[in-house]
Amino acid sequence: MLELKVLSKHFGGVRAVDDLSLAVEKGQIFGLIGPNGSGKSTTVNLICGVFPVTSGRVLLDGKDITRAQPHQTLAAGIARTFQNIRLFGQLTVWQNLWVAQNGLEDRQRENFLRRWMSGNRRARESVEELLEFSGLADKRDALARNLAFGEQRRLELARALSAKPKLLLLDEPAAGMNLEEVGALDDRLRKIQDRGVTILLVEHVMDLVMGVTDRIAVLNFGKKIAEGTPAEIQDDPAVQEAYLGGAGGRRAAAAG
Amino acid sequence: MDPYLVSVLSNIGMISFIALSAYLLLLTGEISFGQQAYFAISAYGSGIATAMWGWPFWAGLLWGATLAGLAATLVAIPTLRLRGLYFSIATLAFAEMVRLVFEIFTYQVEIDGELVGPDGSDGFRDIRYIYDSNVTAFEYMLVIYGLLALVLIGFFVLERARLGSVFRMIGEDPMLTEMQGLNATAYKVLAAAMAGVIAGIGGGLYAHLTTYVEPKIFNVMLGVHSLAYGLIGGLGTALGPLLGVGIDIGFLESIRAISGYRMIVFGGLVAVLLIIRPRGILDEATVHWLRRRWRRWIHAQD
Ligand SMILES: Nc1ncnc2c1ncn2[C@@H]1O[C@H](COP(=O)(O)OP(=O)(O)OP(=O)(O)O)[C@@H](O)[C@H]1O
Ligand SMILES: [Mg+2]
Repeated sequence: MLELKVLSKHFGGVRAVDDLSLAVEKGQIFGLIGPNGSGKSTTVNLICGVFPVTSGRVLLDGKDITRAQPHQTLAAGIARTFQNIRLFGQLTVWQNLWVAQNGLEDRQRENFLRRWMSGNRRARESVEELLEFSGLADKRDALARNLAFGEQRRLELARALSAKPKLLLLDEPAAGMNLEEVGALDDRLRKIQDRGVTILLVEHVMDLVMGVTDRIAVLNFGKKIAEGTPAEIQDDPAVQEAYLGGAGGRRAAAAG
Repeated sequence: MDPYLVSVLSNIGMISFIALSAYLLLLTGEISFGQQAYFAISAYGSGIATAMWGWPFWAGLLWGATLAGLAATLVAIPTLRLRGLYFSIATLAFAEMVRLVFEIFTYQVEIDGELVGPDGSDGFRDIRYIYDSNVTAFEYMLVIYGLLALVLIGFFVLERARLGSVFRMIGEDPMLTEMQGLNATAYKVLAAAMAGVIAGIGGGLYAHLTTYVEPKIFNVMLGVHSLAYGLIGGLGTALGPLLGVGIDIGFLESIRAISGYRMIVFGGLVAVLLIIRPRGILDEATVHWLRRRWRRWIHAQD
């Protein structure tokens, strides 16, 4: 469903992503791991159109979306979360989700004017459902910036889901979470997968990645150094070398 | 009612429109120093319609506000592509240009043996519709507040509607808003158009209250004040800018002791507030807290 073809992104002299090719199958949870600064977030930003690519192509269901803007990749069915949480802090939890629904409808354009000013029942129901799913129902009227850290992460995930994506890009959704929260996230990711959503999971928390993913690619200095099932990756000497030798060694060891 | 009080209240009401106009743009994160341009365009436009073309007051006001909205839209389309400071400078430049155009704009017709109409920097006299129709100052004040109430209701509806949330989202993080699939620029143009109409209503009311407009009052200071009202009063609710106007005109101006230093006190107030409460007295968090309090209190009643 998602294909990256010899994708590169250079920032000046830094090859943040270097000739990266990979293919994510429909319905998979695909892990993207690697030491700090290996180009994971940059890859996510390239897929959803935040940065222009230096070279290479991004295909979604065979369609070229390399040059699409963020709102166009969203319309194409790609939603994301951010490594540094980005929410509308001055809006309530409910509004954060409601407005994401609004974007969805703007892009569908049917009855645009009628829906525009007035709330719409279907959107409301879908927001309610997401609140339940994310365990945020009792926080609906809180301002997003007043939420606890884990709640903010859940809200971000809910917002991404409210766009009803085919493909979900998650950039370190477990960062800063405690064990219990990571367990709940694991559950939630499987439920999302059951709904038929494909997930690209960038993550340092190895318990989560090894447990939940179907397939993993490992980046180091922007290059893919390994790809395979979680078991294969765990036994791969090149991966161990990158983690233990690289800058991310200590963090990965601590996390996993 | 005391004529002085009526005149102060009428002023507060009129200035509230331009304060709300600047506030609407502040919600979307844009700082406009130029809302006085739309105030001026409508003051002239509606004055010309009633005094020279013999239109009734309401038609003139509608016409002035429409002109202002159109002008605001035309200005917004190119300038809102600029970011932040550049947009602010562009609004300032446009407003000064409008003022300079009115300094030379002459368009007079003879009515009952007298020349009526804008006469360059001498201004535009005898916009007498209200006086000729025997509307008292008190009644006119009610007209101003009636319209202000309508605009405020509009703002409250906006805040509950999606559009209001979208404006606030754009103000907080335009890039993230775009990523939600919303075209931030298009929404900003819409906000600018609405802001133009609101300033226009104020301008039309102003022209008919004073019966005389001259270009020099539409200077940068009017724009800076309009902007400051929202920043002082707070960006959490449309009542914020009104509070700002009330503090400046109602309070500072009525304290005679500081009359000569009003600008200095006002400037100092803005500076202090920007540091301690960057989003004004009634900021989002305060409004949110008050709203919760209020709801809880209502619940406790039944
Ligand atoms: N906007 C940017 N401008 C310049 N350099 C950048 C930019 N974004 C990322 N880089 C560089 O690109 C490289 C890859 O960064 P990236 O954020 O993709 O790493 P990452 O794998 O997500 O790391 P982490 O695990 O710390 O989140 C780094 O060397 C980084 O400094
Ligand atoms: Mg990263």
